[in-house]
This record gives sequence, C-alpha cells and structure tokens, in this order.
Amino acid sequence: MKPTRRTGRLPGALLVWAMGASAQAACGEQLTAHDRLLAEGSGWQVAFAPRSGAIRVGQPFALDLIVCGNGATAGVPRVQVDADMPAHKHGMNYRPVVTSSGERSYLAEGLMFHMPGRWRFLIDIETAPGLVVRLSREIELQ
Amino acid sequence: MSAATGQLRSGWCAVLLLVLVSAEAQATPPIRFSSDELRRIQAHGPWPLAPARDPGNAASGKAQAIALGQKLFFDARLSASGQIACATCHVPALAFSDGKPRAGGVATLDRNTPSLWNVVYQRWYGWDGASDSLWSQALRPLRDAREMAGTAEHIAITVASDADLSCRYRQVFGSAPQTGAAAQTTLIGVAKALGAFSASLRSAPTAFDQFRDALARGDRVEQARYPIAAQRGLQLFVGKGQCANCHVGPMFSNGEFGDIGVSFFVRPGVVDPGRHAGIVALRESPYNLLGRFADGDTRADSVKTRHVDLQHRNFGEFKIPSLRNVANTAPYMHDGQFATLQAVLRHYSELNLERLHGDGETLLRPLRLSPGESADLAAFLRTLSDPRAQQWQAVRLQPCKPPAEQLSP
Repeated sequence: MKPTRRTGRLPGALLVWAMGASAQAACGEQLTAHDRLLAEGSGWQVAFAPRSGAIRVGQPFALDLIVCGNGATAGVPRVQVDADMPAHKHGMNYRPVVTSSGERSYLAEGLMFHMPGRWRFLIDIETAPGLVVRLSREIELQ
Repeated sequence: MSAATGQLRSGWCAVLLLVLVSAEAQATPPIRFSSDELRRIQAHGPWPLAPARDPGNAASGKAQAIALGQKLFFDARLSASGQIACATCHVPALAFSDGKPRAGGVATLDRNTPSLWNVVYQRWYGWDGASDSLWSQALRPLRDAREMAGTAEHIAITVASDADLSCRYRQVFGSAPQTGAAAQTTLIGVAKALGAFSASLRSAPTAFDQFRDALARGDRVEQARYPIAAQRGLQLFVGKGQCANCHVGPMFSNGEFGDIGVSFFVRPGVVDPGRHAGIVALRESPYNLLGRFADGDTRADSVKTRHVDLQHRNFGEFKIPSLRNVANTAPYMHDGQFATLQAVLRHYSELNLERLHGDGETLLRPLRLSPGESADLAAFLRTLSDPRAQQWQAVRLQPCKPPAEQLSP
C-alpha cells in the first residue's frame, strides 16, 4: 500500500491507510470482551473498548486502546483517535485527547457520537517519525 | 333475572362490543410499527429522567437554593431599570418562553427566548451554546446591556438590602451577601440560585410517553388511547422524516447544534455566527466549568468544555432544541422566524439545499410531505406536551427565618 501525505492532526507525517477488519486476535484480551473492537492492517492491530460500557448517542465516552503487532518498532508509538460518519460527511463535535496508560496501552478521552447511525473510528499509529498507519473500524450506533 | 337470561344479555353485550371494536378498527386501522421503528420509539424514553444537577453549582438540588432562585427569578429589581425580571421573558404560562419571535429586554434581541422546561438535561445553554452550565448562562441576561442590564454591585445591593433575600442567601451560601469589592461573589451566588431553580423545572410524562410505555409492555388498550394521527406522525418522525437523527433520546434532542438551512441574517448584511461564536465565547469565559467559579470536582462535567472542537462548519449552526412541550413554545427557530409548527414542517418539506453549507450535514433532504403527512407530524408533536406544565405555579414560600446567630447583636 502506497504511503500518502497526511493533512490531518499529524502534519508532515506519512500515512498508510489500512481498512479495518473484524478478525479476532489475542490483542487486547485484558479489555472487556463484550465491548472489545479490533482494527488491523499493515501488520498492526488495535484492540479498543469504551471505558464505561456501551457507547450511547449523545454521551461522552473514553476508549481504552491496546496496540499490538509489528514488534520491530522501538518505543511507544504515538496514537491519535478520531471518528466520523462517512455517509453524513461529518466528524465529531469534540476532539479526543490520547494519553499513554502503559506499555502500548492508551486512553482516549473526549469522544462523543451525537447521532445514531454508522460511525467510523479512525486510529492513527505513528510507527516511526513521520510515518503513520491509519486503522479504521466501523460500528452501527443505535 | 335468571342465570340463563343474565348469560344471554352478557353474551349480546359481548357481541355488541365486538361489533363496535371491529367497526372502529375498520375506520382507523392500527399502525404496525416495524421492529426497527419500535426500537427507535423506545429510545425516546423512559420519562421522566432521574433528577440532575446544574454542573459546577453546589447549591443545585438544595430546596433553599431553589426557593431563593424562585424569588430572584420573579424579581425585577435585579435589572437596572427595575422593570425586567427573568420571568419577563421566561413566562411560566408560556412554557417559560415569551411567545415572541425575538426576546425583548431593554432592547429587542436577535434570538428567540428558549423554554426553560427540562433545561437541566441540556449539555449547552443558549442558542449558540456559549455556556456550559445553567448558572453561567444566568449571568448573561442579568448583565447584558440589552437584557436586564444589571451590574454586580447593583444586584448585590438589591439582595443585601432585602431582608428576605439576604436571609435566604445566607441560608444557601453560609454568609451574608457582600457588596463593594465582593459584589461579584454575590452575583455568582445569585446566578447559582437561579441555576438551582431552573434545574428544578422538569415536566411530567406526556401522551407520547404513555404510548411509548404501553408499546414496551404490550398494553394494547393503552396504545389505543393514543390518537391514530399521532401514531402516523410518530412513524414519520422515526422513519421517512429522519427527525430522530438529531431529535433523539428522551429529550428529543442530541444536545448539539445543526445548520438546517434557515436564514441566519439578523438584519440585512448582519449574520448571526451561531455555534462558532458560541464556542469562542465559551472558551474565553471565566465562568465556564474549567474556571475558578465552578464548585467542586468538575472533571466529569467539564469533559465537554475541554474537548469541544471549533470547526468551520459551526458557522450558522444553532442548538437543536428539545421537542418536549414544543407545541407551547411558538414561534420557532433561533430567531423565531417560523410562527407555527406547520411552518416548521413546511421548511423541512421544501428544504433549500442551496442554502446549506458545503461542509454541512448531508443528511438533510426535502421531505416533500403531503398535507396529510404534515398534519400527522404536527399531531404527533402536540402529544409531546405535558398539560400540567401550563398550569405551573410558583411554590408559596414562608418568610425566611434567620438563624439564631443572625439575630444576636
């Protein structure tokens, strides 16, 4: 997959777009199994789950994330989280902040889905300075 | 009467009842909701919600603060002219709105007076969401030169010089209202009492709520009491109309903002920037939930304030109002440009897509409602009103009794 120039929140970084997949893996087993979601691509996986149970329309929520795969990367990769509604062509009204909470563990705070429908999580992993892998995962919010 | 005669008569009664029920059923066939529609309908309840508190307001939920707030709400002396109270625009008999297109204090404003029913369940306050709590919102009309035009000193002197208000203030905040250099503290206290009162305005279940609950428990007798036109309107609301994408949940609002293609010109050449200016004002306000005037630990309540994102598309966005009691809050939209619910429905029916932002919500499409569909939607919206809310009466308060230490010399 050809890296492209990223114009988002990691300016100047290179982006690799990798569509999400639903394959089950051991990544993020410490997360609540019922709510756990997985995004993967380019040798990376991110398991994530809402910290306070189910995501509800109009309710702020936080995500616990575990980054797995590609052991060649040294250190703790930088992670950013966003989300949008592709069919509506809009994103969230809130900008999440991601902090590291341990070895390849992260907490994303400040998300809110303000409509029911199909939402897409966008997870950027800066695997090396200037190189970003984007993973995505869609959910249907009722 | 013999047992046989009695059985015969009860048999005839049953037949007659069946005939009547059958005839009614033929006249008004019941609405069959799909499982998806039923799920969406259930998402608009249950109602009422659990009591909530005004964030960053330690007085919220306290009976004495609500009582003080009620008194202040109706007290025109808080305004510079002594002629304008909160209740001048937020009229209880008009769903705590005023029935006018645009609010009028000292001068006519650019926006419509929103209803105060159930405001505690909102996330943002004002049509542009410039405030993140009820008490910080209350500060604006108190001091705005076009509204009540009060000053901290004027308001503090008004409260401190009134024996009953001063007594109640002390009950709530533990110290007498201060004037002079500490007048701002008193102003904040007044705003928090007003926030506590506003937070207490919660309307009761409506005809829709009873229908929704009846659907949930499969009570067909109760379901049949809900007008068939309202049922058709509800089906449109959660279906073809896609109204429930934004007017979602028990409040019939997602608490956010949208550009629905209404004019945002205040007057020729002057634009109301709506949510964009609201976020800027929120961030600059020393009275937001991140500031030193907010009480207690506001980490959870201020998530919205910390993370709200200023975007270009916020220009011309205005708050998506709750639809509870909507039939009693005409006129509609941020500047009251639509006089009736029918006019609002006509707007959505004939939506001008050219007017919408290029980066705006692509969900909106002209609904092309038939006259019957518009009437059904209006019938549904009218069932969202709590009839008791129109009869709201202020609590009759006994004179405040000062604590013993206040009486001692």
